[in-house]
Amino acid sequence: MVNEKELQDAVEKTVKKGDVKYVVGYEKGTFGFQAMPSFAYKPEDAKKFIFSPLCVHNLAVFPMLEEKPPLRKGEEPDSRKIGVVVKGCDSRAIVQIIQEKGLDRDKVVIIGIPCTGVVDPKKIEAKFPGQVKNVDVKDDGDKFVVTIDGKTTKVAKDELMPDKCKTCEYPTPILYDILIGKEVKGTKKEDYKDVKVFEKKSMKDKWEYWEKQFEKCIRCYACRNACPLCYCKECMVDQLDPQWVRRSVDVSENTAWNLLRAFHLAGRCIGCGQCERVCPMGLPLMELNKKLEKDVKELFEYTAGINAEEKPLLAMFKPDDPEEFIL
Amino acid sequence: MKEKFEPNIIGFLCNWCSYAGADLAGTSRIQYPPNLKVIRVMCSGRVNPIFVINALQQGADGVLIGGCHPGDCHYERGNYLARRRMAVLKKLLEHTGIDPNRVRMTWVSAAEGNKFAEVVKEVTEDIKKLGPMQHFKRENKW
Repeated sequence: MVNEKELQDAVEKTVKKGDVKYVVGYEKGTFGFQAMPSFAYKPEDAKKFIFSPLCVHNLAVFPMLEEKPPLRKGEEPDSRKIGVVVKGCDSRAIVQIIQEKGLDRDKVVIIGIPCTGVVDPKKIEAKFPGQVKNVDVKDDGDKFVVTIDGKTTKVAKDELMPDKCKTCEYPTPILYDILIGKEVKGTKKEDYKDVKVFEKKSMKDKWEYWEKQFEKCIRCYACRNACPLCYCKECMVDQLDPQWVRRSVDVSENTAWNLLRAFHLAGRCIGCGQCERVCPMGLPLMELNKKLEKDVKELFEYTAGINAEEKPLLAMFKPDDPEEFIL
Repeated sequence: MKEKFEPNIIGFLCNWCSYAGADLAGTSRIQYPPNLKVIRVMCSGRVNPIFVINALQQGADGVLIGGCHPGDCHYERGNYLARRRMAVLKKLLEHTGIDPNRVRMTWVSAAEGNKFAEVVKEVTEDIKKLGPMQHFKRENKW
């Protein structure tokens, strides 16, 4: 349970310092089971800030979305920092971006929140369907307390949590400037149970499953936009010359896009699950991400987003890397 | 009569070793299957996984990537980086149900004309067994 007063005070103090352009956090949503991102440009904006299990977004995307317009003569670039409110998984995204030198450590103020698990919007909407007015969800030990029209219901956490939270190893932010409340010890262990079960299937079954999934994709690229680690200035699928992936929506192009998206996150994905959350067609994208996370751990003993000093996985090598597949 | 399946294999060969190895195989008159279509790249580290997936989309049944032996890379580390990339790509293909044997990698030096011919033979045989690539071949040709 996070003390919201403490969070608001911390945000207010950060904005008051004047070297911060804005702090991005969460505020109460206006519809159903939703919280929304909130920006504090002025100290009084901090009062809106909340933190509840509905705060599912990964706000680490916002420092990467900063526009750097061309400067007029004599104009100084805006060198102010950006403040971000992060959960455990979000902080790993920031660590990973810093590791890749996509972001300067001095350019972000990280307000860390030890997180005890959030809800999965899809699961909670299925459990309480047709909820239009905004509601309240609170954290209470191993249960979520859901308040709808003054009526409270207690639901076991396992029932509403997304899969990523069930196996979260880093609930406390790894990198932070200000920590709200006490550290939470990670007691869960990632065992890649689902990945291992899927690996046992035959090639034919695997392709049948994925073909069905990729057929659904409408290539809206929401997965790319929500991902804190997809921050290329120009994505390879937007390139026209050479045009690697065509615009038509069919199994061939969809497969190419989904495979390349997964590959580009190999050794970088920190498992925040935003791609899967925002997917309008419900593709199980985390299954691909988790598989690569597991293999990278096994092959190269590397975990993304833990150490900002390390070199990125695919930009380094060891002379004794596995090569049994080489003729 | 049904035509025998002849696979289309794209070979990305590095300029300094594998391409010279293929050249040596040719000048030494060593026979090897004609299924390999060679594209010369400056280094195996130049091979982006996008090339591999694009080749499979455009009708290749297999892809062979040739580089220098570890430690012999003209650019010192290109082949090591390629090795990591392909290891990950093969795992990804396997998980989505595309046989990872369609993407092969080999180290051939400029002096190994014989090895080059052997490798091409082996890869062609393997891909003949796997049959044509039908998973995500591009259907619209325009």
